[in-house]
Amino acid sequence: MKVVTGVVGNDIHVVANRLIELSLNARGYEVFNLGVNTYLEEFFDAAVETGADVLMISSLNGEAEGWSREVKLLKAKYKNLDDIIMMIGGNLVVGTGNAEDIVPRYKNYGFDIVCHQVDLNTGLDMLETLLKERSIQSKETKESNK
Amino acid sequence: MSDLDVEQSNEKLLIDVGSTYFKLSRTGHIEQHLRDFNKDILDDLMYKCGKTVEGFAKDDVYICSSANGGLTTLIIGITNTFSLKYATNIAFNSGINIIDTVLYQNIEDYSLPSDLIDVVIIVGGINSHGNIFSANLYNYLAQLRYSNIVFVGNEIDVPAIKENIENIDILPNIIDDRLHIVEEHLREYLTNLYQKDIEGKEDIKHLYDITSNQIFPTPYIVNKTLPLINAKFSVVNPFILLDIGGATTDIHYSKDLVDDNLVTENEYDRLVFKKLGVYKSKQSLIFAAKNNEFVYELLMHLKVTENIFEEQSEKSTKILMQLAIFLVLCKISHYRKAYINLKLLAINSIVLTGGITKVLTSDEIEDIISFFYKKILNSEHNPMTVLDSNYDIWTLGTVNTDVDADTYISTKEERGK
Repeated sequence: MKVVTGVVGNDIHVVANRLIELSLNARGYEVFNLGVNTYLEEFFDAAVETGADVLMISSLNGEAEGWSREVKLLKAKYKNLDDIIMMIGGNLVVGTGNAEDIVPRYKNYGFDIVCHQVDLNTGLDMLETLLKERSIQSKETKESNK
Repeated sequence: MSDLDVEQSNEKLLIDVGSTYFKLSRTGHIEQHLRDFNKDILDDLMYKCGKTVEGFAKDDVYICSSANGGLTTLIIGITNTFSLKYATNIAFNSGINIIDTVLYQNIEDYSLPSDLIDVVIIVGGINSHGNIFSANLYNYLAQLRYSNIVFVGNEIDVPAIKENIENIDILPNIIDDRLHIVEEHLREYLTNLYQKDIEGKEDIKHLYDITSNQIFPTPYIVNKTLPLINAKFSVVNPFILLDIGGATTDIHYSKDLVDDNLVTENEYDRLVFKKLGVYKSKQSLIFAAKNNEFVYELLMHLKVTENIFEEQSEKSTKILMQLAIFLVLCKISHYRKAYINLKLLAINSIVLTGGITKVLTSDEIEDIISFFYKKILNSEHNPMTVLDSNYDIWTLGTVNTDVDADTYISTKEERGK
């Protein structure tokens, strides 16, 4: 399972980025870490070049929201990314905010999994749950097509 | 005595054949001549400086040339940030001037170039990701006219690519498994093609009558020189080097000036503005100038009107060169980003080489640079201007390219086997 990850925008939180990479590796994912200060287009392009299954964006300075508003628009320009799992985590607002408001907002921006101030392992468990669900759905679809 | 002085005491004759001028350099002496386009290059050269050339053995004559016009290149890649960008970067650094790109997912929307393309480059995917290319690529290529075609993408697609595209050259992927660039194979391939192109051009082929050394692309030589630049100039990194020629303008820049996902071993990269020159590309330079809203203010600053574009005088050449500096800086700034956006406020030196150093004074160049920084970047930043009036950059590169020449020649021989 391939995951493209990185820190979006003008955000240099490199330690968190490295921890995400290590944790993903430990769980057996093939990780493509774009590092800090990554533009949205680079995430999508990396997913195309690697054939990634998951695009995992992190943000700590809250800048993600500005970028995330562009996600649907930009993703629509790509012809082969419909099935990719979009995940975002970290501190997703400038100042304070609660998850009940933030999570639906980001889902509306086009993310499948949103982890606002959730610890890393819990976030990765959420990813695994979604991957299992998708796998079951995919099998069911194949069988119904037979 | 420095190593460089020793090199030059061997009395080598260095010749650069440009699109407009040719230049000759020997110890302590530089000469420059406007080319006569009605004559074969060698005949013209021998007519104007035959005595000089005849005074040197073939082994001591070193020639570089950009007079073949460069190779036309079409790159088909799957993303802008990785495959297209990496291949474009390698092509520029190999001395290629004319590059068009096609984003594969939209390949059906692109119109077909009518001219014959020298080389088509296909790239995309890391080696563990395949089945990217399919019938729409083959259909597109079937309608295209090209002389060479090379695949530098993922390994999985190689068998299908070989089966469907005749005479395709296959090289290792230029994108590694960490999404980093791998330059060497494609770079070598393109420089060898450039070499073959030079040998195939009747005009340039005859130059081998006066040299037994390899004829290199001029931009390749300049790029090789940059790490050695401090041997001749007090240049403070990071810097850019502008080579404003008759047909094109080359920029070589320190990698520190770009925020980029390109991690290479090169300290310097090159890019080309193919229709920005003061002689062959004069009309397109004027067109670009007229479309830049700051140019009229610049003309006022220089105390001329746009009628200067119609004139054929020394004054008009000077103004065109000043405009070229301004337009090039605009094209690499956030204001008119063309291919890349350089951190212009971080530049410590701007080095100028080529014919411009014979036409403009330091003051005239600094005037334009400070106008650009004030008007476009709203800054008082004032990088140091260095003029390569004696073409030291080119001569330094030519005499220090012997090692590369050996590699170049052996590669050619291997290819010939």
